Amino acid sequence: MNENEWILEQLNQALQTTDDYYERTLIKACQDMLTEQAKRIDQMEGEMEGTIWSPKRWSE
Amino acid sequence: MQTLLIVSHPDIIDSGSQQYFLNAIKNEENITIHHLEEQYPDEKIDIAKEQQLLSKHDRIIFQFPFYWYSATPLLKKWQDEVLGEGFGYGTRKKPLDGKEFGLVMMIGVAEREYQAGGEELFTISELTKPFQAMANKLGMTYLRPLSIFQFFYLEEEQKMDYLIQYWQMLMMDKEKSLANREKWLIDQLEKTQNTSAAPNTLRFAIDQIQTNRDKMDELKMVLDDMFLD
Repeated sequence: MNENEWILEQLNQALQTTDDYYERTLIKACQDMLTEQAKRIDQMEGEMEGTIWSPKRWSE
Repeated sequence: MQTLLIVSHPDIIDSGSQQYFLNAIKNEENITIHHLEEQYPDEKIDIAKEQQLLSKHDRIIFQFPFYWYSATPLLKKWQDEVLGEGFGYGTRKKPLDGKEFGLVMMIGVAEREYQAGGEELFTISELTKPFQAMANKLGMTYLRPLSIFQFFYLEEEQKMDYLIQYWQMLMMDKEKSLANREKWLIDQLEKTQNTSAAPNTLRFAIDQIQTNRDKMDELKMVLDDMFLD
């Protein structure tokens, strides 16, 4: 489990113990944010890998 | 940034959607909630007072139920009188120039109907053209609207998603980039941390959002360098 996944799990637990509706809303937004960031990082890493392995560079 | 939220609804107490959103901003210092029907039950609008209120705020939002593709009668009356000649037009002075303007609309019909081929035929952007033209004439920046479709059919999580967008519409920078949304969310989490039942979890989450941001900035730099080669 990476750090992002661990924190998402902790936030899930916090959702179950928090009664305040507005805090729950922020916790959900926080989970969505971490998921969106992880996806963006994945895409950027994929783009980097794709660029490194681009055939354009094979002749260099 | 000071936001003026001009709400118009003829029966606000019985409107679940209006109550849901208005309750969520009750304690916000930088938002002035201005309910027209409550302020003017006899519909006699104090024009000078309204104009003064406008000049004190940076972002002006109209919040109303979308009736016959437009706003409520009192909001239209407010526009006609408050933004009249000498203030809204017919003068070189532009008292609202540079301010931001946006709409929050509660809409009873499903989103999919607001497009060519849908039952309503036209998009919300097309139907709200008079408001866009108004903002343009006043020199105001028109914000992306917040259209809330069929509130009563929403699941709790969907309501929460709308609530986040609502808070952002009223308080956040108008650019909704990921970096701006991160910054805004961190501010909110920090404010909540003091009263939270799980303050450590919120702290970890804030740190992780920041760590992810640093990683994205680093990756962006590497990618920019690669394309420069």
